[in-house]
Amino acid sequence: MTEIVNEIEQDEKTEGKKGNFIRLLKFYLLPGWRDPKFTAMQTQIERVKSKRRLFRRLLAPLSIVGLAMVLFMAVLAVYAPWLTPYTIDTLAQPYLPSGGIPFANPTPAHPLGTTRFAYDLLGRLIWGARTALTFAAMPVIISLTGGIIFGTISAYFGGLVDTILMRFVDFMYSFPTIILVIIITPMLGGSLLNMVLIWGLLFIPVNMRFVRSLVFQVKQNMYVMAAVTGGADKLKVMFKHIFPNTLSPMIISIFGAMAVTVLGFASIAFLGLGDQTYADWGTDILYARTRMTAIGQAFWPGLFIGITAIGFILLGDGLRDALDPRLKI
Amino acid sequence: MKRKSQNMIKYVIKRVLFMVPMLIMVLIFTWLLSHMMSVNPVVNKIGFTLDPAVYERELRRIGYYDPWYIQLGIYLRNFFIGNWGESYIVLPDKSVIEIIGIIFPRTIELMIFPIVIVPIIAVKLGVLSAKNKNTSKDVVIRLIAIIGAGFPVFWIATLLQRFVGIIIRNFTYGAINIEVVFSNSPSIPSPVPPGGFSTGFRIIDSFLYNDQAYLWDTLIHLLLPVISMTFVSLAGITRLTRSSMLEVMDQDYIRTARAKGVLEKDVINKHALRNALLPTSNLIIGGTASALLGSLFVEVTFNYRGFGYYMVQAIFTGDYLVINGLLVFATIIILSGTLTADVMYTIIDPRIVYR
Repeated sequence: MTEIVNEIEQDEKTEGKKGNFIRLLKFYLLPGWRDPKFTAMQTQIERVKSKRRLFRRLLAPLSIVGLAMVLFMAVLAVYAPWLTPYTIDTLAQPYLPSGGIPFANPTPAHPLGTTRFAYDLLGRLIWGARTALTFAAMPVIISLTGGIIFGTISAYFGGLVDTILMRFVDFMYSFPTIILVIIITPMLGGSLLNMVLIWGLLFIPVNMRFVRSLVFQVKQNMYVMAAVTGGADKLKVMFKHIFPNTLSPMIISIFGAMAVTVLGFASIAFLGLGDQTYADWGTDILYARTRMTAIGQAFWPGLFIGITAIGFILLGDGLRDALDPRLKI
Repeated sequence: MKRKSQNMIKYVIKRVLFMVPMLIMVLIFTWLLSHMMSVNPVVNKIGFTLDPAVYERELRRIGYYDPWYIQLGIYLRNFFIGNWGESYIVLPDKSVIEIIGIIFPRTIELMIFPIVIVPIIAVKLGVLSAKNKNTSKDVVIRLIAIIGAGFPVFWIATLLQRFVGIIIRNFTYGAINIEVVFSNSPSIPSPVPPGGFSTGFRIIDSFLYNDQAYLWDTLIHLLLPVISMTFVSLAGITRLTRSSMLEVMDQDYIRTARAKGVLEKDVINKHALRNALLPTSNLIIGGTASALLGSLFVEVTFNYRGFGYYMVQAIFTGDYLVINGLLVFATIIILSGTLTADVMYTIIDPRIVYR
């Protein structure tokens, strides 16, 4: 046994890290591929087998489609200055192009036509990817962090703390959240940072309830009781024993929440409450609504919103099927 | 059994009593929200005026200079004696309760199809999709569901509007004027005589006063909003039914049922669906209340003068009493909706017992 291990270590040294990486890549990606040395590496194979299965399940066709959609949007967002000749300054509100025709039909200069105030539609779509992707993740992170902290505390301590926190959650649940967002957004001013904060803070209760139910499930496991009996510190039990085991449902929920955020930002912008100094797809649909004949101007931004949201949804579904098929989100 | 129903009644009473402090907190919170609003309703009401005296008189009339606790006290007292205030801008000189009486039936008319019929269709689709897993039927159903879940509802609504209005315009030269669909114009006057009895539901009114033209006009107005609403509410239920159905089909008792020779139809409908419906029913019942309020974007797109439309109008113009009234009303609906969901849940799943 020790001889085999020594042999493997020797091989890794001679081939270097790069060779090892390529071998692992082949192992994950090619079905049924076996390294000639694998007979000697049986123990190691067994060790990584579960990882390989996880990876294979992740590569379901629909998840790949979702990944492609999100990657497409990511490429648009990252390479926006190279993909379109227009800069963001010439595409959003304070700047009004002079001499342009609003709602013009496609021309070589404007491949998808122009929208209201004669902005280039394609340019706005490409820069909109940057807005959408940047600000899709932030509210989710804020609300999930808040949810993790308060949800774990509430579920672990129980008693009075739990009652107070859950009454607060019930209170927030009794409001229609979307109407609350519409009321609060003009109150603080509709700049993008404010919108992110509003969305992040208002969705904390949802995540609190979610995390609390997860922690309750994990808390009943034997190893938590063992840790408590062994005299472990409360914080240590909470964040070292319970928290890591609630991670996979949380990771899955992030993608669904990101789809909701993209759609939500678009809806708020559609009502005219968005930050009009950024290129935003929801605002584009709002612009297109001012003219009945502007079909393309209404069609494309919605398609982009849909691609982003569906990409996140498909990715989340794929992850759920791979990690935790029984989870209902 | 008797003890259980007694427990149930106790539970319901406890929940209803619990709603009262919740409602008061909601009232105070909404009042605070409307107090912090950045829109200036007085300017919206009287327009930009150069005469400060007019402005001043209006501020005094609505009690702007009272201390905040007196304003809040007056609002709370009036609220509980049934005076929810009068609309300031959106529908001037109508009381908020009157406004709710006018606009809420319209939203119910719009949502009645999505709430009642759609769950039935969606569960059927979900079962069909789970039964034929990974076949073409499954792919088509999942595609429809994912389009409804991923594309924003106002986009679908806008495109439908454009499609019927511009691309198939020749249709509107026929007998039925489909163009009426978008404007929601009062092209055909209501058959209710002034001062006559009206339920607020236009469909019921047209039956009461036997006016066919008004009935068809109403139905055609409802057509496009209902289609776009249906698309969206279909998505969630179908997806959830499919996934819980797939999970249940893997269970041992399904294999047992098949092994002892139960018909496939009965396996699906009796053994599997009953158990798969538990999470779905939670979504359907709990979602009904929020669906009543979720028609907001469709109403805005089609200028359908319902609950959501006036909510947005009131927020934009700063009509604070209407905002408060509608928000509190929405909260009451949501609270009673969740209570109904919890009670219904024990009927659907007898294993759940409330104490």
